[in-house]
Amino acid sequence: MSVTLNHYLLASGLLFAIGFSGVLLRRNILTIFMCLELMLNAANLSLVAFSRFNLGPDGLPNYNAQILVFFIITVAAAEVAVGLAIIVALYRARQTTHVEDINSLKF
Amino acid sequence: MPAPLAPLTLEIVVLLLGIVLLGFESFSKGGDRGWMARWSVAILSVVFAWSFFTTGDTGVDPSHAFYCADPLALFFKRIALLTTIIVMVISLEFRPVLEKFIPGIQPGSGTGEFFALPVFTCAGLMFMASAVDFLLIFVALELVTISFYVLVAYMRRQNASLEAGVKYLILGALSTGFLVYGITWIFGLTGETNLARITQVLPSLLAEGGRLHGSESALLFALMLLLIALGFKVAAAPLQFWVPDVYQGAPTPVTAFLSVGSKAAGFIVLARVLQTVVFLPSIAPKVLSVLGLLAVLTLLYGNLAALPQDNLKRMLAYSSIGHAGYLLVAFASIDPAAGNLYRTQTAIGFYLFGYLLMTLLSFLVMTVVSRHSRGDDIVHFNGLSKRSPFLAFGMLIAMLSLAGIPFTAGFYGKLLVFSTAIARQNFLLVSVGIITVAAGFYFYLKVVSAMYWKEPTEDQPVTASGLTKFTVAALCTAIFYFGIFPQSLLSMLPSDKAAPVAVSPAPHK
Repeated sequence: MSVTLNHYLLASGLLFAIGFSGVLLRRNILTIFMCLELMLNAANLSLVAFSRFNLGPDGLPNYNAQILVFFIITVAAAEVAVGLAIIVALYRARQTTHVEDINSLKF
Repeated sequence: MPAPLAPLTLEIVVLLLGIVLLGFESFSKGGDRGWMARWSVAILSVVFAWSFFTTGDTGVDPSHAFYCADPLALFFKRIALLTTIIVMVISLEFRPVLEKFIPGIQPGSGTGEFFALPVFTCAGLMFMASAVDFLLIFVALELVTISFYVLVAYMRRQNASLEAGVKYLILGALSTGFLVYGITWIFGLTGETNLARITQVLPSLLAEGGRLHGSESALLFALMLLLIALGFKVAAAPLQFWVPDVYQGAPTPVTAFLSVGSKAAGFIVLARVLQTVVFLPSIAPKVLSVLGLLAVLTLLYGNLAALPQDNLKRMLAYSSIGHAGYLLVAFASIDPAAGNLYRTQTAIGFYLFGYLLMTLLSFLVMTVVSRHSRGDDIVHFNGLSKRSPFLAFGMLIAMLSLAGIPFTAGFYGKLLVFSTAIARQNFLLVSVGIITVAAGFYFYLKVVSAMYWKEPTEDQPVTASGLTKFTVAALCTAIFYFGIFPQSLLSMLPSDKAAPVAVSPAPHK
């Protein structure tokens, strides 16, 4: 059995769903942050799959999507750098990374 | 007469300004970083004036372009520049508060980035105004969002600011996830990331014998993901729950920037993305009905939840949700048969410009007053007319315009938005709009009554710097000027008469 586009899309859909449910259900900010990265990687996987399987009339893929993947990786790295810094600052101030403890602003 | 300049030079100058400011900041001695804000105000004002001498023509075929400079893009670039300039003035007034919450060897020594990051955000907003490819839309959006993460959490000795930062971080990253997944699906369905190309290929894909014929659900799924992501950015209900907390916790200049800059950029991206699909007869009714639902929810939530608020900053957060609702009304009233979005673009352009003037004016006055009264509850504004008649008058104008009193820019913006809805005979939206305007009168005038009819709790006068006074006067004048002569602003916006430039929908092949 050969691996088709649908397999990749299914895997990426699962990754996205796992990431999203993790964001909704988990209570630790670090775990939530990791789940968010999972969602971005789900998009990366399907971008590369779409680009590889939908070849243009000249038999070449549209490379814009593959370039976009590199941008997403770079931007995600920047986001992690800033995000972890904010979470560390929060931990220093409050000694916690639990969402339940972050409630001084009324929701 | 010299040849008009390429529009990209504007962004390049703004980015260079940001880099140079950061470079000078790291070698400067002493604690005072106010010069950074003053330099930014001066140079960004030059760039703002410069934007009137640029050409809209980038010389690139729109179906290969990442970047366009149609009148709408230039207009939104000016909105971004003007917002940043006024935000810098607000941060100058905010400095004493900032210095209190930033640990440093001497007061103010850790505050340099607070004045450099808005410049980068401004560059991101300007790129977003011109982005016509999902690649550039994504990168520009993230430039804006990531610098906002830092700015929101900037006062790291204050719990509220840190908490707001964490909330904004998680929900901003979540909306990024939805955005890239939506882009992925659009790319998978059309094989393109360029908006003009997507507009070209979609009709043939959906037509008889096309790859997507009879199965629009995948396209609707992709659009839903994009709408969720952009709904987060523009604070549309039911994706608005982060707004009140983040706006209240963030430093006041950042709140002002968020509520104007990030909203304007979200709406122009929404306009560009919708342009690819609203003229498809099989998709348009579904997308427009979803937008209509979002508009009704946002209007009701924003205006009704603002009623019981007694913290002014939080009330303005709800009010910004309400204004997003009025803007969504213009989107929900797009006419799919018109073939262009000029009507909606004009309405949102004018509305956002008026919103910029009145919101930034109220945040500017609020920053000065809360520095003297040590708080931003409405109680702190009691008797402001006796402590500083000038600032009270500025706040009065801002509140009247936000509520939508005739002869103000806020009134004419609402009129334009409702006229798009009336043209489409969308009376549900109009009636919900009018009900919420009435609710708005109540909570905006609450501030006015506190300033003019309550006794002050303290009696030392509230003083402001000359630059602040000048900005307040200029904003007041502009609110009335554009309310009485709206034509001067409308002529800058795309209309049926002007020749369409760049990403107008390409003829179907």
